Amino acid sequence: MTEKPRIGVYICHCGLNIAATVDAKAVAEFAKTLPDVVVSKDYKYTCSDPGQEMIKKDVKEQKLNRVIVAACSPRMHEPTYRKLMEQAGLNPYLFEMVNIREQSSWVHMKEPAKATQKAKELVSMAVARSRLLEPLEVKEVPALKSVLVIGGGIAGIQSALDLAEQDYKVCLVERQPTIGGHMAQLDKTFPTMDCSICIFAPKMVDVAKNPNVTLLTNSEVQEVSGVAGNFHVKVLKKARFVNEKKCVGCGVCASKCPVKTPNEFDMNLGMRKAVYIPFPQGVPAIYTIDKEHCLYFTKGVCKLCEKFCEAKAIDYEQKDQIVELDVGAVIVATGFEPFDPSTLKEFQYGKYKNVVTSLDFERLISAFGPQEGKLLRPSDGKEPHRIAFIQCVGSRDERTGNIYCSNICCMSAIKQAVLIKEKHPEYEVYIFYNDIRAFGKGFEEFYQRARDLWVTFVKGIPAELTEDPETKNLTVRVVDLVLGKMVEVDLDMVILSIGMIPPKGIADLTRILRIPRGADGFLLETHPKLRPVDTPTMGVFLAGACQGPKDIPASVAQAKAAASGVASLLSKGKIRTESSIAVVNEDFCSGCRVCVSLCKYDAIKMEEKKGKQVASVSEITCMGCGVCASACPTKSISLRHFTDQQILAQIRALAPEASNCTGKTEPIKIQEEA
Amino acid sequence: MQSVENSFRIDPSFKYEVSAQSGGETLRQCFQCGKCEATCPIERFKNQYRPAQVIRAVMLGLREFALDSPTIWLCATCYSCSERCPQGVHFTDIMRVLRNMAVEQGKINPYYKKVAEAIVQYGKTFDSPDFINEMRGDLGLPPVTSLDRQEIAKIIDEVKTLKSKENQSKKVI
Amino acid sequence: MMKYVFFQGCTTPQKENAYELSMRKVAAKLDIELVALEEQNCCGFFVDPVDHLSATVMAARDLALFDASGLNAVTPCPACYGQLNRVKKELLTNKKLYDQVNSILKRINRKFTGTSEIKHFMNVLIDEVGMEKIKASIVKPLTNLKVAPHYGCHILKPSYEINTDNPEDPQLLDSLIALTGAKVVDYGEKKLCCGQSAGGVDEELSLNLGKAKLKSIKKAGADAMVTVCPACHMQFDLVAGAKLRDLAIPVLHYTQLLGLAQGLSPNELGLGENRVSTDNVVEMIGAT
Repeated sequence: MTEKPRIGVYICHCGLNIAATVDAKAVAEFAKTLPDVVVSKDYKYTCSDPGQEMIKKDVKEQKLNRVIVAACSPRMHEPTYRKLMEQAGLNPYLFEMVNIREQSSWVHMKEPAKATQKAKELVSMAVARSRLLEPLEVKEVPALKSVLVIGGGIAGIQSALDLAEQDYKVCLVERQPTIGGHMAQLDKTFPTMDCSICIFAPKMVDVAKNPNVTLLTNSEVQEVSGVAGNFHVKVLKKARFVNEKKCVGCGVCASKCPVKTPNEFDMNLGMRKAVYIPFPQGVPAIYTIDKEHCLYFTKGVCKLCEKFCEAKAIDYEQKDQIVELDVGAVIVATGFEPFDPSTLKEFQYGKYKNVVTSLDFERLISAFGPQEGKLLRPSDGKEPHRIAFIQCVGSRDERTGNIYCSNICCMSAIKQAVLIKEKHPEYEVYIFYNDIRAFGKGFEEFYQRARDLWVTFVKGIPAELTEDPETKNLTVRVVDLVLGKMVEVDLDMVILSIGMIPPKGIADLTRILRIPRGADGFLLETHPKLRPVDTPTMGVFLAGACQGPKDIPASVAQAKAAASGVASLLSKGKIRTESSIAVVNEDFCSGCRVCVSLCKYDAIKMEEKKGKQVASVSEITCMGCGVCASACPTKSISLRHFTDQQILAQIRALAPEASNCTGKTEPIKIQEEA
Repeated sequence: MQSVENSFRIDPSFKYEVSAQSGGETLRQCFQCGKCEATCPIERFKNQYRPAQVIRAVMLGLREFALDSPTIWLCATCYSCSERCPQGVHFTDIMRVLRNMAVEQGKINPYYKKVAEAIVQYGKTFDSPDFINEMRGDLGLPPVTSLDRQEIAKIIDEVKTLKSKENQSKKVI
Repeated sequence: MMKYVFFQGCTTPQKENAYELSMRKVAAKLDIELVALEEQNCCGFFVDPVDHLSATVMAARDLALFDASGLNAVTPCPACYGQLNRVKKELLTNKKLYDQVNSILKRINRKFTGTSEIKHFMNVLIDEVGMEKIKASIVKPLTNLKVAPHYGCHILKPSYEINTDNPEDPQLLDSLIALTGAKVVDYGEKKLCCGQSAGGVDEELSLNLGKAKLKSIKKAGADAMVTVCPACHMQFDLVAGAKLRDLAIPVLHYTQLLGLAQGLSPNELGLGENRVSTDNVVEMIGAT
């Protein structure tokens, strides 16, 4: 930069967030004393409209060519101020943000004098660096108007539909042979008591029929590389041994198949064949052969399905395929896994046949479940006249490690209780609860309805279950805390309201997409209040239970939000790339490849240039992390906007004696205020 | 202090006191699910004994209710409650803290008093092992191991001195 | 040869000497040396409810004895096992307490360092000796005998401190009994506390617990029950034998059961000391 720097420094009060600890005025005064600082002001809310106008005005009137704002974290408002720079006619990379909120005021709340001193030092570092800042070209790259949606449950399907409507090309990848997820397993949904599959099936069919949607079922995402606007995806399409183009879903194969095996969709309470479709309304209506139980694959015999298939769709030789595609964005909607209560041995799940989970119960009462909608208990198929629900099984529990509340179990139990009572008012139904969380729209009214129907709510979680060895009836021992008495309740059936846990394979997904998980194991959003469907990786969004336990309305809302997020990102057809990227000086590069091995974004490739192999950085893929620049043994890679000179200038501004390379190690003194 | 109206007055400081003792730290986690009571074998046979009720009394601050209650001496220290609690409340240890606090106020169940006094005096729960050693001899067992009771007396005395010093310093503050 | 200092506790020498006798005999058969530990005092389990620091200091004295011996300790009593381990943990995690207690112990020239481990005899059998070796020592399988296991509380709980077995579904004593060739009888009240600790405060309450347990065992059709705790044994042998006569059944210490299967005689195992007569058992297994 040949122009002399004319720096404007703005110290923000951020209301009291900064000003309560840091003396903003004093910092502004101090900044004025630094060379090249033309304007130095403190202001209450710099990011506000008048604040921004003030800066714009100063840039024009004082001919500023550098702007420094000392305020909150750059992660909050750097984009805001960079936009402001453009509006003021300056290159956005001539802006420097200093964090004196999270990094001074908030962490040193009890030491205002030291915090102010630290703020001064941080500002002087910024001033030193800003002198060396260079304008960087803001580039845009074409962004693909296509999306990968991982997970074919209600959330994934909703996102897919919303995006397909806007003419985005959607690839919906689902691990199971059909889409549907857990919503398809439910009988009714609360609080409307809609039949789940009745409201869901049309969506499933819509998404399959939509010309903008490609369904890849029985498939799993293996690899995602690239960056927002241009992701390259590899999907493993597992062989289903049935030709998808030929199968018409007539089901003759299944009717002839001699092998019966527990049906996972029915929570292993009903059976399916080795060639199967998980449930009758499954989309796509294409059969799949389960290699592990099929007689042909295990023993080399049978082949009845092939014999009877009129469409000649059976293909035992079908191989796994890798499908590669390019997309502009990714939505993760992989849902949840139900908690397995076998580890909580006091509930005897797995030992006592008449103890079932809430999801087991959904299948038992489902019209297309193993009992065709009749409420009969597992041990003897008799009608259970006395039924109890035990809440919070596996959730809110230090012993299982799932200390969170699973959101849906209170309403789910009430729903199931209401269902039972409406069909059989003479049955006794109990809900043993810790709290009743009926927080959503229509939920409290639904809770009332349950009490109107004489569902008995007992505040107290049972501890012991015993079984009569002959009748298989159960007795539950619980203390009613309101009454203050221990009671024993004889029952025919007990339903454990189990919680949600993160879905299987979530750890692999976090690696493939480079997104984090929270302490509870679910995928972590960027900000729980304001950005609930974003991830720190640009272009990757979350929707539904994979982000945390939630019900259908919340999942749908998130799905729509994620779709909207994708559209915001891709609708212009181009995306701004990161300008602060690594750049290779080809003359110095020795071709050692250290940078290639270190780059976790796969952004560096070796190319033949000027007769030698040199490193070359992809402008699109480089995320500007700087690892290559710091590792390069010949210093041929520099990181734009974070050059060695800029960083050294900051260090010298902070501690002149430390960067003199005299070999002396003197402690860095913090200047005390007089 | 119970008012004439038959309702209790609460003392918010009680919970901090109990929680400050070694073993009482987990008190605040209780979310009143009642699983401890449902598990308790003592409550099963004697409905008046209610662990969750005692925890509640401590949390709310019903000092006398908690410490005067004869039920705190009924706990069999079976640890079932601590085992089952979904919030990791170490109820058995809290019970022990309440017992210690009751003793400091001069309230102690006579059986526990008897046993503890014997242990402190003899260093074991029983005195003069002569007839016991006879019995053991008949079975071919060596006599009960010896014990210098003075040592026990000394260390118990040290504890007493330490405690009175701490109480003094508390009074000064 | 495995060597341990033997912490006998108070209940065993006072009321359950046959337990110690049978334990010593079984130990000898399995190559375990039990070294006498003179000067041992009560672990302080019943002092803890009265004064925690006094109890801590008493237990610390025993822990100092173990440390000085250079050996690990084994005890027949789960209450001692739990109490000693609890105190050890508290001392090792609370520096202030550690210093305070050691300054008290200094007056009697003792020091706690926390080097010795404290085990219950059952831990030694399972972890150190191992099922294989125990099986190999069986010469007289007790095939005709139906035995109900009673674990008691302090060998299992709390599982965040004690790692012997799963308190919700304990199986190790069942396995140990099965090794002797006896048939293990499951019963509804398997996990119920014996109620002994409440006996001094409310006798009726304590008996009601004992009753529930014995009723359940009777319903399951066991010939005998097995304990691993002297207090539990007292409850079902001494107390029930006197006060719940129609329900009482022979109560063997596990070491007595094992000893019988190892070919030792009822006399050698002190079966005559059991208050509820064990004659039926002796007859059923054909021992002399």
